[in-house]
Amino acid sequence: MSDPVMTAKGLVKEYGKGATLVKALRGVDLDIPRGSFTCIVGPSGHGKSTLMHLLGGLDHPTSGTVIIDGQEMFRLGNKELAALRANKIGFVFQFFNLLQSLTARENIETALMLAGVSEKEQKTRAKDLLDIVGLGEKADAKPGQLSGGQQQRVAIARALANDPPVLLMDEPTGNLDSEAEAEVMKVLENLKQQGKTVVFVTHSHEIAARADNLVHVRDGQIQLPHDLKIAS
Amino acid sequence: MTPSKLVFKNLTRRKGRFLFTLLGIMIGMASFVTFMALGGSLKSQIEKESAALGANLVVTPKGSCAYEQVSILTGEQLPTNITRDEVAAIRSIDGMQAIPYLAERSAIDNRPVSVMGILPEETRVFKKWNLAQGGYFPAEDSEGVVLGAVLAEQFGLLPGSDVRIRGANLKVLGILEETGGKDDLTVFLSLPVAQNLYEQIDLVSYVAVRVDRLDEVELYANKIKDKVSLGVVSDKQMRSSVLAIVGTVNMTLQLIAAVAILAAAFGIVNTMMTATYERKREIGILQAMGATRYGVFRLFLIESGIYGLIGGIGGAVLGGLAAVFATPYISQNAATSFVKGSQSSLDPIMFAGAILFSTLVAMVAGLYPAIKASKLSPVEAISYE
Repeated sequence: MSDPVMTAKGLVKEYGKGATLVKALRGVDLDIPRGSFTCIVGPSGHGKSTLMHLLGGLDHPTSGTVIIDGQEMFRLGNKELAALRANKIGFVFQFFNLLQSLTARENIETALMLAGVSEKEQKTRAKDLLDIVGLGEKADAKPGQLSGGQQQRVAIARALANDPPVLLMDEPTGNLDSEAEAEVMKVLENLKQQGKTVVFVTHSHEIAARADNLVHVRDGQIQLPHDLKIAS
Repeated sequence: MTPSKLVFKNLTRRKGRFLFTLLGIMIGMASFVTFMALGGSLKSQIEKESAALGANLVVTPKGSCAYEQVSILTGEQLPTNITRDEVAAIRSIDGMQAIPYLAERSAIDNRPVSVMGILPEETRVFKKWNLAQGGYFPAEDSEGVVLGAVLAEQFGLLPGSDVRIRGANLKVLGILEETGGKDDLTVFLSLPVAQNLYEQIDLVSYVAVRVDRLDEVELYANKIKDKVSLGVVSDKQMRSSVLAIVGTVNMTLQLIAAVAILAAAFGIVNTMMTATYERKREIGILQAMGATRYGVFRLFLIESGIYGLIGGIGGAVLGGLAAVFATPYISQNAATSFVKGSQSSLDPIMFAGAILFSTLVAMVAGLYPAIKASKLSPVEAISYE
């Protein structure tokens, strides 16, 4: 595996104070190798999503840092952090999170607009991306007119819009039936073959089995392989 | 996709809410524009009437208040407290011309009209009237009437037609050329005939005075006061006191309209706050896609600004139309009958100002929701159910 595209160092995230203090992450160190298909697994409520939010710059840690492509994320101002999210990270969420008033094409164009891409180029790229996820003919459909699997494929196309080096996916198949899950996994398989770095939170053992980098999160910490043996 | 297209999509996704919020600001702005246009019209008409009076001084009954002064300019019925002797005393002063008027009201086809008893020849010269059709009073006490141009057209009257004034059938002798003032809406009778008809023998309502030398207006006002115990007011004083009344009325009406606009602004706040809560998750998605806090703030502010812009344009058009179409109805009111002959003052600068004002008000109303939206944390917003 090559150099890490993303590194987390000593990530701590705490919520609340005093008696209500919750330690969601207790010092996470993590390398995401470039071009890897990394799966983050672990029980619910143990900090997987919090870790994803911090890796994606959606939240700030209590302490620690995340470095992406050599850039220390939390030293950036709001504007620079937003630009980093637009250009270097693609998000896919469990509940698709498409903008409901926009068509599939417009959802992708919005991501491109936020990265400063011209309107003309937006149209061409949105069409190409929808073709990549096999939804070229659904370009003008609104999310409500698409199945769950189709919506999630649009969300993946949107996440790929600005060709980010990393895709962060928070249980993207968690809300899909097996047929739709297979559709999404087929798209991800193609991305993996293209060498795209994918970080994937999942509860599915089948998906985790396909990972070339498996990260176990438990009680807000990364569990090393020998810890896993003890735990099991 | 562009920010403006995104704003438009967001605006129109709840069509009912969009429409009702828009109607609120539109109605507020329409009332504001209507009052402004009518107010402007009243003001300019008063200035015009004051000029058309052709007098530097007006002699009114003692204790005559602003209402009487308004009535002189608007052609209303006035108390007839000035006697023939007083008129003669005023007219005996050299260096000025004094023209008495008897201002009364009548109705043609159940619609109120101004009736004015005049000294035919002197008034014609004093007011520089020209005849459009027919003839004029052959003598100072001739029977018959001469009509203002607009009134003749409104009632379809031509020279030779009969007009019934106070039960007497009078022939239309002639029709004046349009003056652009209240004279266009007046029925003129010779003073003796008018005095007879209205049983105001030897009495007149007011006397218009034009002095030969403008710098001696004050001097002549005092000369008149020395001769008769009547009120003397200069045209400037009269105009300013009437304009002050009109100004106060205008301001009151505009304040009422401002309250309507304020209520509409709170409607925008409400709509935008609802949108902020409804679109909380979408705000998070936009932030995850790379929208800056300022970007989110701008989207919401533009959205509320568009309410103001469209509402302002719609309100200005509606208000302008209301001013134009309301004018004839307002003119049915005795106190504002003179508006009939005038145009509402539809000033393009006023329209532009109203649209700008409406947009600004809406943007100020949208500030708080826009700040709220921009301050949402992406994680909190995305996790919002």
